[in-house]
Amino acid sequence: MKQNPLTLIIGLLLILIFGLLLFVFQVRQTEVVVVTTFGNPTRDIKDPTWYVKWPWPIQKVHRFDQRVQNFEDKFTEGLTRDSFNLLTSVYVGWKITEPKAFFPKFAGTSDPINEAERVLERLLGNAKSAVIGKHPLADFLSTSGENKFVAIEKEILDTIQSQVRENNYGLEVEFLGIKKLGLPESVTQSVFERMTSERQVLISKSQFEGEAEAQKIRSEADRKAAELMANAEGQATQIRGKGEAEAARSLAVFQQNPELANFIFRLTALEGSLKERTILIFDQHTPPFDLFRGVSTSLLNK
Amino acid sequence: MSDPHPHHHHHDEPDAPHGAEQSIDAGSQALAETLRSSFVIVKIVTGILVCVFLGSGIFTVGPQERAIILRLGKPVGDGEKALLGPGFHWSMPYPIDEYVKVSISGIQKVTSTVGWYATTPEMELAGTEMGAGPSLSPMVDGYLLTADGNIAHARATLTYHIHDPVRYVFGFLNASNAIQSAVDNSLIWAAARYPVDDIITRDVIGFNEAVRRRATELITQQNLGVTVEQCSVQSIPPRQLKEAFANVLKAEVNRSRVLNESRSYENQVLSKASADSQSRKDTAESDRSRLVNDMAGQAERFRDILPQYQQNPTLFVQQRLSETLGRSLTNVQDKIFLTESSDGRPKELRLLLNREPPKVRSEENK
Repeated sequence: MKQNPLTLIIGLLLILIFGLLLFVFQVRQTEVVVVTTFGNPTRDIKDPTWYVKWPWPIQKVHRFDQRVQNFEDKFTEGLTRDSFNLLTSVYVGWKITEPKAFFPKFAGTSDPINEAERVLERLLGNAKSAVIGKHPLADFLSTSGENKFVAIEKEILDTIQSQVRENNYGLEVEFLGIKKLGLPESVTQSVFERMTSERQVLISKSQFEGEAEAQKIRSEADRKAAELMANAEGQATQIRGKGEAEAARSLAVFQQNPELANFIFRLTALEGSLKERTILIFDQHTPPFDLFRGVSTSLLNK
Repeated sequence: MSDPHPHHHHHDEPDAPHGAEQSIDAGSQALAETLRSSFVIVKIVTGILVCVFLGSGIFTVGPQERAIILRLGKPVGDGEKALLGPGFHWSMPYPIDEYVKVSISGIQKVTSTVGWYATTPEMELAGTEMGAGPSLSPMVDGYLLTADGNIAHARATLTYHIHDPVRYVFGFLNASNAIQSAVDNSLIWAAARYPVDDIITRDVIGFNEAVRRRATELITQQNLGVTVEQCSVQSIPPRQLKEAFANVLKAEVNRSRVLNESRSYENQVLSKASADSQSRKDTAESDRSRLVNDMAGQAERFRDILPQYQQNPTLFVQQRLSETLGRSLTNVQDKIFLTESSDGRPKELRLLLNREPPKVRSEENK
């Protein structure tokens, strides 16, 4: 009995631990918990820390992961407003927010998460076909302006959220996006055919455009060149004209004796024309060859 | 009988207790001894257990990790402060404390193949990809629908690093999966806004940028606790139309070739014209100065000779004439003198003009 205090402490400690195990439980950051009393959900806990409960079999703790889970539905076909078959698949991020509501609806099954995803898939299917039916194909596929891609995602998300809320599933869809868009297999073939003919159009377009453009550049160049030449020609004429005008000023000098001037001009011209490779044919009347006749000089007669 | 009996009994009686007492004493002593020693062992064991129990709270965090301590299920500290860096750390033993390690190992990567045909990296490397059929099966082949209702293939690789491990780990069951979905969605979204030619050739950068922007936006919106580093997108036409797309490219190359040719023609023509026009003007300029100088020179000369002429006009004229003729005649190559025939008329001269080059001159003297 000498070890009594120690034994007592150890005993008490064991009882305490045992008691704690029975009466206390903790909730982790990643979990939400619902406490059932005789099978009825009576309390839900979303904040992580420790809590007190009655021991089993009175109260029981059910834990659920409260993190955002990913789910994507099957690639399903829907009809757009303008009667195109469009295949879509969407992904959602969802999480359990109200374990008390979630528990009775899904916890009876072996895999509550899977069960919840099946419900989501059904809701998504309805929401998708409803929303897609309201939009023409051009709302999905078109360049910036009219593209309603994001708006469509939003509509599906809103539909889903309101349905989830109405049915009080105890879960929340955080975000939703389209993960895949497609066409029925047979349609892809006709798309290919159309694309091929589009390519053909592009080819001939770039051919013709190229040629036309090249032609334009060439004729433009020719025109510019002609313009330049004409311009230069004009300027040249102008310059020559100016030269003539300037030269004419010198004519005043010749006015003093036009006859002499004329004589000198003719002499200059004659000399200029007899420069090279010239054959001159003359007779004896041409001075100074008239000398050959031995007549013309009156000096001899003196 | 009774006497010895009691006696014996009596005698025996105190004797027996004595013997028993002795043996009990020894037994209890041994027991006490055993107990004591076992208590010591128990104490030691308890001590060791306590040490182990407390020591179990020691853990190390690696260089590419962060750790978070959950005390009674709740993270200790808020946001960045909750993160324990590399080194030794101590937490109280389970079930009071619990630690969670998060790998933040550098750059992580997701690849979206939602818009790519069915293939694997191995097949791609080995070049043993399946041939393209005439159509695309929605269940097997991934592809993107473009803004002009066409089909293209593209795949994106996004790299990111975790900046908020608390959010990354405690917010999402599988955050990388959510990132993957965001990239898939970004590709689909961007493709739905770009025509096929922009995606594949004309605006590859714009398309890439659109994917990156959208992915970043979604990741921020969904608060995934990661930062996008890079996003690269590869896009190709459907394999069924490879030839057709190549031909378009060829036509475009051809077109720019034709254009370049015409541009070089333009350069040639224009530079020639500008050179020609310049020389035209230069010629005119030189003509002009020659004319002007010429005239000026002649005028000068005229002014000089006028007085001489006035002294004796006839002599002057004759002298000039003869001198000029003389000078000219020295330059003349052939001189043909026609004598007068007896009847006083000049002889006739016939020229045979040949079209042959001037070397062959035919002249005949008759």
